[in-house]
This record gives sequence, structure tokens and C-alpha cells, in this order.
Amino acid sequence: MRVAYTDVLVVGGGLAGLRCATGVKQRGHDVVLLTLVPPKRSHSAAAQGGMQASLGNCSKGEGDNEDIHFADTIKGSDWGADQDVARMFVNTAPKAIRELAAWGVPWTRVHRGDHQAIINAKKVTLTEKDEAHGLITARDFGGTKKWRTCYTSDGTGHSMLYAMDNKAQEQEITVHERMEAMALIHENGRCYGAVARNLMTGELVAYIAKATSIATGGYGRIYAVSTNAVICQGMGQAIALETGIATLGNMEAIQFHPTAIVPVGILTTEGCRGDGGLLTDVDGYRFMPDYEPEKKELASRDVVSRRMVEHMRKGKGVKSRYGDHLWLDITILGREHIEKNLREVKDICMSFLGIDPAEKPIPVRPTQHYSMGGIRTDYKGESQTLKGLYSCGEAACWDLHGFNRLGGNSVAETVVSGMLQAEHIADYCDTEESEIDISTKLIKEFVDKEQAKLDYLLEPKENAESAYPLRRAMENIMMDKVGIFRNEKDLQDAVDELEQLLIRSRNIEVKHKTLTANPELFNAYRVQRMLKLALCVAKGALERRESRGAHAREDYLERNDKDFLNRTLTSWPDENQTMPTITYEDIDIKSMELPPGFRGYGKDMTITNPESKTRQDEVDKIREELEAKSADRFEIQSAIMEYKSKLPDRYNGKNERLWERLDD
Amino acid sequence: MTNETPRLLKISILRYNPQIPEVKPSVETYELEEGDGMTLFIALNEIRERFDPSLKFDFVCRAGICGSCSMLINGKPTLACRTLTANLDEEINLAPLPLFELIGDLSIHTGNWMRGLNERLEAWIHEEDQKEVDFDRLEEKMEPALAEEIYETDRCIECGCCVAGCGTALMRNDFVGAVGLNKIARFRLDPRDKRDDSDYYDIIGDEDGIFGCMSLMGCEDSCPKELPLQSKLAYLRRKMVVMKDEK
Amino acid sequence: MDKNLSRLKEVEEKFGVRKSRMTAKLDYIQSVTGFLLAIFIMGHIVFESSILVSEEFMYSVTLMFEGYFLFGSAHPEIVSGISAIVFVLFITHAFIAMRKFPSSYKQFKIIREHAKRMQHEDTSLWIVQIVTGFIMFFAGSVHIYMMMTLPSEIGPYQSASRITHDYMWILYSILLVTVIIHAFVGLYRLAIKWGFTEGPNHKVSRKRFKVIMKVMIVAYLVLGFTSLGKYLYIGNTHDFEKEPVYKSKTIVLERH
Repeated sequence: MRVAYTDVLVVGGGLAGLRCATGVKQRGHDVVLLTLVPPKRSHSAAAQGGMQASLGNCSKGEGDNEDIHFADTIKGSDWGADQDVARMFVNTAPKAIRELAAWGVPWTRVHRGDHQAIINAKKVTLTEKDEAHGLITARDFGGTKKWRTCYTSDGTGHSMLYAMDNKAQEQEITVHERMEAMALIHENGRCYGAVARNLMTGELVAYIAKATSIATGGYGRIYAVSTNAVICQGMGQAIALETGIATLGNMEAIQFHPTAIVPVGILTTEGCRGDGGLLTDVDGYRFMPDYEPEKKELASRDVVSRRMVEHMRKGKGVKSRYGDHLWLDITILGREHIEKNLREVKDICMSFLGIDPAEKPIPVRPTQHYSMGGIRTDYKGESQTLKGLYSCGEAACWDLHGFNRLGGNSVAETVVSGMLQAEHIADYCDTEESEIDISTKLIKEFVDKEQAKLDYLLEPKENAESAYPLRRAMENIMMDKVGIFRNEKDLQDAVDELEQLLIRSRNIEVKHKTLTANPELFNAYRVQRMLKLALCVAKGALERRESRGAHAREDYLERNDKDFLNRTLTSWPDENQTMPTITYEDIDIKSMELPPGFRGYGKDMTITNPESKTRQDEVDKIREELEAKSADRFEIQSAIMEYKSKLPDRYNGKNERLWERLDD
Repeated sequence: MTNETPRLLKISILRYNPQIPEVKPSVETYELEEGDGMTLFIALNEIRERFDPSLKFDFVCRAGICGSCSMLINGKPTLACRTLTANLDEEINLAPLPLFELIGDLSIHTGNWMRGLNERLEAWIHEEDQKEVDFDRLEEKMEPALAEEIYETDRCIECGCCVAGCGTALMRNDFVGAVGLNKIARFRLDPRDKRDDSDYYDIIGDEDGIFGCMSLMGCEDSCPKELPLQSKLAYLRRKMVVMKDEK
Repeated sequence: MDKNLSRLKEVEEKFGVRKSRMTAKLDYIQSVTGFLLAIFIMGHIVFESSILVSEEFMYSVTLMFEGYFLFGSAHPEIVSGISAIVFVLFITHAFIAMRKFPSSYKQFKIIREHAKRMQHEDTSLWIVQIVTGFIMFFAGSVHIYMMMTLPSEIGPYQSASRITHDYMWILYSILLVTVIIHAFVGLYRLAIKWGFTEGPNHKVSRKRFKVIMKVMIVAYLVLGFTSLGKYLYIGNTHDFEKEPVYKSKTIVLERH
């Protein structure tokens, strides 16, 4: 049995995992990073559009600050987010951008003087200030009051990931590629690392660590069509779930991105609309202003996706052999802009559709894109129930996005959560309490158990199942019955059918009998795990009888703050269960900085909680009193909701802006 | 194509599993009905699902941005995920990229090769001293045009097509290849990297570096991202030739 | 002190701390010598083709190179001198370029199979460079050596006699093909290697260079072989017993 010891084990080599690893290493702790693919190939690279941070350098970002970013994020989440976490996040995001700028990301910069932009289908001239020349610029994204999304052309994620991985290489961080974490090693409510499988040789290795962080991204691939990379199968969440102790939060909160190309589901960035692109229907008619007169194409993602489906249901979709779709028209932006700032979009259209987007509209349709849910953690990123288990980035639910994530907040979250979590993990590793005291006997038990599971998959069985049909069935159930619009009947069907699939999946037999590099084998155990996650999503959606953010119930149109202002927690305490255990965690209105209100889309359909008004009055009163004493915005914020004591010291400083200089 | 009968593709794949050396390498041919807008990503997955679930290949983003799926398609290195079968003949030959360690069938270990390269080139920003970034303050300014130029060279996805297409790299395995030289060109442009030309010379100023390049142009012609490799290499070569040591 | 410094450099180079600055120079010298040789060849073949105009014209071109129009008398040793310079360039170029030759049969096999598999023109052209370079190493040496030692044997009749009756046409045919291809492929490669002549779009520039390269190869092959044909024609029709050396009607030299 091979056993490797380290201080911190990070599972996942995307932006979140890498930033967590570098942070821990900087604090002097040893770290090993396990990843399915070379870190630079992680799905983080696919983030084309940008990263939100309130730098406010460009003219349309002027006046921006943490407060506005915070309000946008909370409203976007439909009040599902943890407001402490959101505050920590908005304060750290500008620092993250600036750190990355020093590490080598060539952020697109402000150019002084006049430039043309397309706003609301009209050409507008914007003028940039002299003193902002050369600072990091930003573009417009959905659901934001200011232009706040910083970017590198349309390869933001790529350039960030490369700079980050280069930094990790400089720091000589140990990376073990093509290693898949198979099970978490735990005893008495504490996590001690993981059993991992080498995907090239099939060898099982036990990694023992004081702290284990899961940064494996989302679980979009439980859907038949997803913008996610094929490795986004939610295996991080699944192994946490399989401990029986750790919980998953808000698994039903699934975001659909409005503009993925048809049929393959590859994303075209929100930057297309941010830069002025339009959505049109079968008649070439721009329909979004009819539904959302104010934000139009740049409403929040969940809203635009739903409006698109509504419009297609009215028969205004474009018929194709792959089903209905709509058009994303960016021809208005001009060839030069497309070839410079949206080149990846052009590349994708040319390669996969044979369409030149400078001349023709792009066929698009809302497609599964992001998992707001994940391993439920506290603000430190640590599981609420399994000590020593951490999670960051999309894999986690700490909970920044609530029931809908704003575009540009995900890449920002990966880095910020990695930064903050690294400090908390390092603090923990500095304590006596973190020392490891488990026996090799326990380690062997975990390794043997995984080996036995693998052996069992290869064993000949009667009425053997094969993994692919089960997987396809699951994917289609999720698409058809747990999609953008949901209802009781479909969800109940989905839950029942998924349960049957899960039971059948226990009888999978792998025909190709080798334990080495064998795609059939890893597909088999992953399908078993994906089915558990799918059940968490479907069951969570069934039980949440309200509409909140991306979770839209046709039979419960209202957002119900009275009964459902809470987080869904799913767990799997007994491995013989065929259904997750669901509990709820209330979201406390009394401590909110921004109490629940109307989000500003369509007509207000909220079943309000009386506490919302009480808290709003309280907040207004504090604000009024302090404003009378001419307190600044930091003092007012702190009086309403103190969060700074939870933020690591390193990241507690104020952020400098052109009009908000720091004293020397 | 919509109304015609779809073509029958004959996809031949070079198969070998180094973990099972007693089974010799062989070419297996699979027949597949072509679908509308079919890419090799779709075709290979269909083969795996319908004919042989043990077929090994690598896809991650399947959108041409992660660089995982490079392979020899009819002898030419390129990304499989964005290769439309409609642009190929009915008979398609697939083989793993040469030069890299073979994991099995079409799956290769580019990660460790690229990691070794990055370490050798020290492909990261070298700050003057190891001072921490003061991220509370305004970031350092950079000319917008320069930022764009840096991004232009930063677009490399480490897919390995350039080195697999380079006769020099295949003959001389220590040659850094265009992927490495382009990285040096990228850091050389970047004012945040404090290394000077004599430092860069010490990294790539030999026959395994820029002076090993024989301008075969396999890199430029194989790059799926269409990076201006020819131009960048020429520029670097000129700078390295005129370089004078400070002392 | 100086000794210490050079020793220090040696140690640094040996342990890979510093890299030899000589490598850059070698690369540069290879290109410069190649460029000069190519320019020389372009002139050489054009001057040679003066025979297509007339024997008289070729004769005066020969005399021009022997310095007749400068000094009033012919000095074939000038041709010897030029040949010697070309020889030095040739040897230097060949010697430095040899570094790039495949160092084993295995390497040669790798590149040949790679070129075949990729069907990549520029890679195939490089193999052509290797093969032509290798042939020229022998054929070119013989030719230059002869020009160095027997410079006075150039002229409409003497050259024709040598080509026809000493079977030099075989050597010259081989040389002509290899040198023209090697020179123009080399110039094309120089242009992309150093990028001096790059336009705003390097891909377009490269395409243009390649067209120019091919046009020049064909043009020079036609020119070269027509000239060779003319020499062969003279060689087969002229009576060398009677008049072994060309006699000009306007220029009368004692020695010729």
C-alpha cells in the first residue's frame, strides 16, 4: 500500500485549487495537488468573459465600489447568498485582480480618450480619463449596475489560469496529474485525506493530510447538454456525499446560460451581450425589451434564460432538427471588434457551426452552465459537519451565489475563495489540533474498500447493466424534467426514475477486465456517483416548492420568504439508501445587511416574511443616524453588519480607487 | 447534406496499451454513420459507447480551448474536438501525437512534458525581489497596446501540436520547440518580468533553444490557435544575436 | 585576471549557468555565408548564360572578370582569387550547416517519416536542402577547385570543350540542379528565419516568398540548362583542332 503524507491535500487543479495551494504554500505548509488533467487544461480556462471586481477604472465603472457589487450579488442570488461571505468576497475581489496583474495576467487596459461602444443597439461615444490610461478596464455584464467585469480580450479564464499555474510552478507545488480522488479518509467526524486512483496505471494511493480541500468544480455533466467540460462530473461533491457526514448545499440551484450554441452546447460569452449583442427571434425581432424594458438582454442570467424559453413557447423560436432555438446577433458590433475582443466566439462559430458571426447571427439556446450548489461549508470553506474537509470554487456552497450567480462572479469566486480559504487552512495547520493521529490500519481499510468496489465492478453478474445506457437515461431525465422550468409532476417522475437507475447502477459490470487505464471502468463508478448527485438535485428541486433565482417552479411562481428562505442540505448517511436525506438550514434575516426585497424583474411575486420589513426598518434607522453624524460608508456598513473580524487580516485593507486614494 | 444519405465513415485508430505490452500495437477500423455537424469528439465518443468502451482518448473542454485532444489526424497534428468530419475524407486515420509519453491508444501525457518545459524555462514572472504584492493600491499601469500584444503570445494552449509537427523536436528531443520559445517571447515582452536578454540567452541561447530551430515551419502550420510563431521566433532570434552582455 | 575570467566563463558554461555566446554567432554566420553564396550563384549563372547572346558577348564577360576593362590586360588570377573567396565561404557555410545534419540514421529516418506523414512542404524542403547540400559538398568542391587552379580555361570554346569532351556536363547538370534549388530554398528560409522582410501579415509574406522561390527556381533552371545546352552545341559542332581558343574580332589578346 502506498501512503503519501502532506500537510494539505488539494483535489482539483483549476483556479480555486491552484490559488488555495499557492496560498497554503506561501504560509509554509506542504501541499500536494491532485488533478484529473494538467492544471492548465482545467475548465477554468473556458471562462471567456471576465471577472467582477469593483475597480471602477473605466468611465462606465466610475463610482463603483464594494457596496454596489455587494448589492448586485445579493439581488442576483435572490437573497439566497450568505451576506457575510458576499461582503468578504467583494472586498477581496479587487485585491485578487491586482495580485493576478502582478503575477502576469495581461488584463485589457483603459485607453484614454474617446471610443465607440454599442449600448442598447445604439452607437455611443465614451470618453476615458487621462489618469485612468493603462489601468485595468471593465466591460458590461448582466445584472450589474456598473461596468465591472475585468477581462483579457475573451480569454480571461485562460490567461488567469496560466498565470496562476506558472506561479504554482515557481513555488514548486507538487502536482500529481491524472489522479482521481476516490474516497475521503475520515474517522470520528474528522477528514484525514483521500484514497486516490492513478488513471494511467490504476494504482490506489492513500494521501494523508491535516486538511483536505475539494476544488473540483461543478456537476453540469449530469445534464445531456451542458456548457461544462466533460470532466465536470461532480466527483468532488460525490465523494464528500459518500462520507455520509459531509452535506451538500442547494444542489437544485442550477444555472442555465442564455447563449450556448446549438446543438453542441458550447458557450458564447455573456460579453457578446455585454458588448452590445442582441437576442432575436424567428422574425429577426428583438424580443427582450418587451419582457424586461429596463435591463433587456442584460438582465440576470436566470431571467434571460426563462424569457427565452417563454418566447420560444409562444412559437417564436427558430425550428431546427435539434429543436427550437433563438438568435444571438453580434453583427452590429462590427468585424474589428469581434476579431479583437470576441475572437474565441468567432473561432467557435467558425469551427463548430461554419458561421461567421460578423455576418450572420448565432443559433443559441439556454443550456446548463453552472452549479450554485456544492459542498456546504462555513465562511472559512470548511464543512459544517466534517472537520478538516474544506472546499472552494464552484465545488463549494459557502454560499456566495444563492440561487443565481452573476456573470463574472464565478472566476472571481474561484480566486477569492482560494485566497481566503488558504489563510484559514494555514491557520488550522498551525494549531496542535490539526496533527494527524490515525492508524495505518484505518488507512488500509479505506484503500481496501475502494479496491473491493473496483473488483466488484469487474465481476461477472447476472442481469448485468452497462454504464452508458444508465448515464444517457439520467442525462435525459435531468434535461427534460429538472430543467429551466420545473413542476411537481415532472420532478416526482424524475426522482422515481433516477432512483430506479441508481438501484440498477449497483449491478453494473465492466466488460473490459483491466484495472489499469480503462475508460469503461472509470465511467462505471462515475455513473454510480453522478446518479446520487442527480437525485440530490431532483429531490431538492421537488421539495423546494417556490421559485427562487434559477429554480423556477411553474406550480409555485412566488419566491416564498416565509417558508423557503433557507438552504437545502442533502446528505447520504447510509450507503444502502436509495434517496438522499434532506434537511434545511434557515437563512437569518435579522443579521442581514440587505434584507429580502423585490429583485426588479417582471412583477413582484414575493411572499414576504414579516421579519424582512422589521430588519429593513432597523437598517434604515442605523443608516439615517450615522449619515446624520456624517459617518463614511465603511462605518455605516460595519454598524449594519460586522464581517471584518471573519476576514483574514491580510485581506482586511481598503481598496484604492482613482477617487478613493489610500493615505500613505 | 441534410437530404442526402449520410456517409459511412471508416475511422482507423492506432491502438496500443503500454500497460499490457504483450499485446502488440494494431490498427482497428470502425465504421460509423456520419451525423450533421459531427466532430471527432462526437465520433470518438460514439465509437467508445457503441463498439469499444476501452478506447482511450482525452477530451476536456471539447471547444478547442484546453488543448487536451491533440492527435495525428491523417498524419497532421491538430485538435480533434474541433475537427469536423465533414472536412475529412471518408477514411480517417487517427494516431497519438509522437514525442509525448503514450498512456494508451490516443491518450498521451502532455502534462509532464509541458511541466518540465516550464520549469526549464522558468516560465513565470520574475520579480526583482520577492516582495509581496501591495494589492490594496492601484495596479501598475500598462500601455493598452502592450497588454494586447502580451495576450497575443499568451494564447498558447500547450496542446503540443507545434512540437509534434516539428521535425527538429522529433529528431532532437531536448529541443524546446515553438511552445517554449513563444513563452520566452511572451515574458520578454512583459515589463513585469525583470529578466534581461542575457538571462533569456542563458535559457534558450543554444542548439536546444532558438539556435536549434531550422525554420521548418511545422509549428506555425500546425498551431490550432494560429499563433504568429514564425514571427515570434524570428524576432527572438534577432534579439538573441544582437544581445550584448552588460559587463 | 583575463585568464581567470576566461576560466570562469568556461566553468559557467560547463555547468550550464551561462551559455556560449558563440552559438548565436555561428547561426548568424551560417546565414550570412549562405546569403552571399546565393547572391554569388544568382550572378554566376546569369553571367554564364551570356553565351546565349553570343560567343563574343560571353568572351567579353569573361574578360571583364579577368580585369581587362580595368587594367587593359587579362589577369585570370582574379578569377582564382574570387574562387578562393567563394571556396572559403563555401567551406565555412558547409561546416557550420553540418551541425544541423541528422546525426544518425535513426534521426534521418525520423525526419523522413515525419515529412512523409505530415506531407508538409517546408519540412520536405529541408530534407531537399540536406540532400542537395550533401551532393554539393563534393560536386561543388571539385568545381571550385578547378576554377581556382585553372582560371584561364574559361571562355566560349574552352568551356564548351570541357563540358562536352571532358564530360563535365554531367557534373554541371548535377551542380546546376542542386545549387539552384539549395540557393533559393535557402533564401526563402532565410527570409522567414530572420523575419527582416516580413510585411504586416507574416502569413501573406511567407506565401509570397514561396511563390517567388518557386518562380526563381524554375527560371534559373531554364536559364542554366539552356546555357548548358548551348555549350554542348558548341562543343559538338565546333572544330577544336582548328581553333581551340576563341578569337575575338574586336579584342585581341596575346595570350588568348
